Amino acid sequence: MGVSTAVTLTERPPVALAIEGDIHAREDLARECHRQAFLFALHLTRRHDEAADVAQDAMLRFFASIDRFDPERPVRPWLLRIVRNLVRDRARRARVRRTTPLEAEAGEAVIDPPSCEPDPEAAAERVQLQRLVWRCLEVLSSEQREVLVLRDYHGLSYAEIADTVGIPRGTVMSRLHRARCVLSEEANRRLLMRNSGGDR
Amino acid sequence: MTRHCPSSFDEAMLSGYLDGELTQSDDQRVRIHLEDCDHCREVYRRLENLREATMTTQFIKEPDRQWDERPRGAASRVGFTLGWVVAIVWLILTCGYAGWQIWVDTDGWFEKTLIFGGLAAVGLLFSSVVIDRLRTAGSDPYRKVEK
Repeated sequence: MGVSTAVTLTERPPVALAIEGDIHAREDLARECHRQAFLFALHLTRRHDEAADVAQDAMLRFFASIDRFDPERPVRPWLLRIVRNLVRDRARRARVRRTTPLEAEAGEAVIDPPSCEPDPEAAAERVQLQRLVWRCLEVLSSEQREVLVLRDYHGLSYAEIADTVGIPRGTVMSRLHRARCVLSEEANRRLLMRNSGGDR
Repeated sequence: MTRHCPSSFDEAMLSGYLDGELTQSDDQRVRIHLEDCDHCREVYRRLENLREATMTTQFIKEPDRQWDERPRGAASRVGFTLGWVVAIVWLILTCGYAGWQIWVDTDGWFEKTLIFGGLAAVGLLFSSVVIDRLRTAGSDPYRKVEK
């Protein structure tokens, strides 16, 4: 069963209740945040096992400091910033240890095709395109991938992305545009190669 | 087709327009520009297709059992630390008292060497295990989690 990334994180009430110590609100918030953290980590690392570890660590950090969090502020930029920092820390440590990351998982492993569609052929084509785009994400720099994933896979506004990544709103727009252009060109190139029989 | 818009138009605004993130005046500016510029119209169409693909992507769902642990609360942390402190103090006092009693009650040096030699060996082995465990606990990322 799949979940859309457009899932909206119900923000204020659960956080306020969780800070007050409501066990059920805390559990609901944990479940919701864990899903978001896992997906974002998956988008950045492109590895299922690593994403699960990052999401777990992010949840620990999230709940370790939740008592100091201002419930008036949105949760998602804060949570996703924790995930982003953890992924960056891991990447830095991996570089220091000179470890070679395993290949990113193929789109088939992480993308869930919709269960029922009125037009199966169109749906299959769309999923194929989605998988191609997912694979093309590897050509983006980490900065470009961050903003693109936050906007297009998580549905954050430019202001929220600016808050999460710590860059001005105008930079979000230009970086996102550059990322989309690179991604579009790469997807077109691979499509052409595939159609001419040069790629699988 | 050229790779960039022939006019001085800022192409990044196409993404802002697509996402509905522009001010009203910029939005109108882009709309008018798109009517006149073939290049930007083509870029916009490609970006729209790409965004449609990304925004409708559904990803696998991590099972809920992945989050079946909760962070240790403040009361739990205090109880855990206090429990260890009390247990260690009790162990030192009890062992010290027992050692003192054995020392006083045992007469010969040979018996004392046998008893305290054995106890010292066990104590050293135990402390080496404790030191290893403490080192591992220091780098365990899940130490703050209640199992």
